[in-house]
Amino acid sequence: MGSSRNNLIVLGLVVVLIGVAAYFIFFRQDVRDATRLGLDLEGGVSANLQGFQENGSEVTREEMEQAAQVIRQRVDSLGVTEPEIQLQGQDQVVVNIPGVTDTERAVELIGRTAQLGFYEVLAVAGGQQPVPAEEVEDVKKDLRAELEGDPAFEEGETQILFEETELPEGGGTVVSGYVLPAEPAVRGNALDSATQARDQAGLLEVQMTFTREGGDQFGDLSQRIVDNALANGTPGQGQLAVVLDEDVVSAPRIDQAIYGGQVSINNPGAGGLPQNEAEELEIVLQTGALPVNMEVLSVTTIGPTLGADSLRSGLIAALVGFGLVLVFLVVVYRVLGLVADLALLIYAFLLWGLIVAIPITITLPGIAGIVLSIGVAADANVVIFERIKEEIRRGKSPRTAVALGYGRGFKAILDGNLTTLITAFILFALSTGSVRGFAVLLAVGVVLSMFTAVAVTRALLGVVSGRGFGLSAGMVGVSKKSIASAGARDAERQGAR
Amino acid sequence: MASCILRNVDFVGRWKVWFALSALFLLISIGAIALGRLNFGIDFEGGSKFTVSGIEGNPTTQEARDALPGDLGEDAVVTSLGENGFDIRTPVLQDGQDAEVRDALAEELGAEVSVTSISPTFGGQIRAQALQAVAAALIIIVLFISIRFEFAFAIAAMLALLHDILITVGFYALVGREVNLVTVVAVLTVLGYSLYDTIIIFDRIRENTPEAGYNRRRFDQMANASIRQVVMRSIYTSVCTLIPVAALLIFGESTLSDFAFALLVGIAAGTYSSIFIAAPALSLYKAWQAGRTSKKVANTA
Repeated sequence: MGSSRNNLIVLGLVVVLIGVAAYFIFFRQDVRDATRLGLDLEGGVSANLQGFQENGSEVTREEMEQAAQVIRQRVDSLGVTEPEIQLQGQDQVVVNIPGVTDTERAVELIGRTAQLGFYEVLAVAGGQQPVPAEEVEDVKKDLRAELEGDPAFEEGETQILFEETELPEGGGTVVSGYVLPAEPAVRGNALDSATQARDQAGLLEVQMTFTREGGDQFGDLSQRIVDNALANGTPGQGQLAVVLDEDVVSAPRIDQAIYGGQVSINNPGAGGLPQNEAEELEIVLQTGALPVNMEVLSVTTIGPTLGADSLRSGLIAALVGFGLVLVFLVVVYRVLGLVADLALLIYAFLLWGLIVAIPITITLPGIAGIVLSIGVAADANVVIFERIKEEIRRGKSPRTAVALGYGRGFKAILDGNLTTLITAFILFALSTGSVRGFAVLLAVGVVLSMFTAVAVTRALLGVVSGRGFGLSAGMVGVSKKSIASAGARDAERQGAR
Repeated sequence: MASCILRNVDFVGRWKVWFALSALFLLISIGAIALGRLNFGIDFEGGSKFTVSGIEGNPTTQEARDALPGDLGEDAVVTSLGENGFDIRTPVLQDGQDAEVRDALAEELGAEVSVTSISPTFGGQIRAQALQAVAAALIIIVLFISIRFEFAFAIAAMLALLHDILITVGFYALVGREVNLVTVVAVLTVLGYSLYDTIIIFDRIRENTPEAGYNRRRFDQMANASIRQVVMRSIYTSVCTLIPVAALLIFGESTLSDFAFALLVGIAAGTYSSIFIAAPALSLYKAWQAGRTSKKVANTA
């Protein structure tokens, strides 16, 4: 019969697969680095951001891809290892940074639009008396009302933006309001580079150098400011506003046209830019603006201790559960149970190999998926073994029973596993982040378990139930009494029909 | 042995007993939910969660509460995580306040603090996704069974699934564990499992269904016989799944343990409902359908 040869071929294939898995787990790299761990097990920051447009229009996939690119450059400039940046759905991006726990800085840096613009100032208000921090909003409201009455203000054509300068040592905040055109005359893409530097007084600032074309645009803008100031009878009093993300960062007076020059963002009133602000500006200006605005949806920071605890408890749970299932199968199914145990061990090893080879990042929900898939894998064996026992009770020889059990049990397993796969796919399609880890591992586990239960267990059983072994009914956990009573029941059932 | 006892049970005929037993559990579950005992986490509403781990000196929940800056202690929900940890849940905080709370907790309790914050927008999205996922699962499952079996089977399976969802959620409410995204995942997984169990029984009923037309006594006897053939398998399968789940419940940290709890209740309810709800419901629906067609026949005649 060809089936015994088929069994040997399947077992040979399994040995090869185990070899491949062993290569991926143990030999390609150190075994401790083999499995890629998620942030919830390793510690780090994970942020989920959603892109949106100021005017409410739809965010396109291309814009998000550009944004992801810019975010990657910014995260890289933080100097962290292996950040992970993924687009999710139409307009979301997930940023995972292992090992970093300074959430605020990381998130601020990632999510800052960094839209830079240079404007001609049309009207100014405020900017004299410093006020305490809690009064800033009230002052802004007053300034807005004042500027809306200014002849330079035209609804739709212009906008009102504010500059806040915090004085050192609790000296309060100076608030100025500006009427600016709706669109900037020169944009951030005119920049060639941005670097931190110190001015003559040794105060920290960020210097921006224009590209050749950008320099010309900036020169034209400065010329216009000078000309308009002259026309208005206030020569030398024209102001330029440097705006970053809706905030005026500085508004220097321009008394002559500047071509091909350098512009800097500084804060002389407050003793220069704070160190972290200067670094951040350098990074966001250097990497360019995000094509969309970003809203932070969720931020998770996991400490390394918590991650390690979670990993340890998850592993203990998985191993204890796995061990008990192995024991249970042997108690109930005797020799068949041993075969199933061997198949389950092969399953577990191949699953690990797959996780390393693909690679799948293991997260806490992922561990739950693996644990559940152990149940699924064991169950496929149970379904088939119960069938085999049933056939033996009906008086079939163990060998025939194995063949019949597989034929009939397979349909039930297929239907059952399909429902689990459907659940996994729905979870994957309709969820984000961590839940996906669960869905992926459950699905991979279910598919692999079909292979081990149907191919591996079958081949092993084929060998065991072969002529040389002499598998008896008692060895698979069927008592003589139940064989007799099953026969009686079959007769009864025939009668009922 | 258990199989001997199960051999003499009338699964289909004594449906009133089985349904009454379920009704009792359902009543408790619905009561717990109606009393507002469900303890929603930050996933659906937005908010912040601070997980304090590795504390020394074993402080009380009140001490943890006092460690919160300002009057946040009044709004926060503090849960102890065994000897050296707490989960502290607060409403949505303002920009930068997360860091303030984290630093305060780290300093006062001398521990590592992990933070999760979710914006209300995202909470709304997660809620919508969760409801969509459950609805999609139910619809696809009905279609799947209708195609693989027939509509009567789908109705019966659906009834069993609703039973399982209600009991799982109800028990969650009863013990006051936190309901979050993971709970929804657990409920969906329970759906898959319970359905699997039901399908195994239905598969046997389908296989045993005689070619001859429908007859209630014959169908019920056949259904009973089918259940008897697979009942041990159902129980073994559940045990195979419940063993690792119980390990998760005992050894896993809070997320895994919450997940395992939902699965434990759900899978136990699912095993019961496949045997004692789905099959009798199928029999009752078939009988009702047969009664209706025979009435129609009588009317036209």
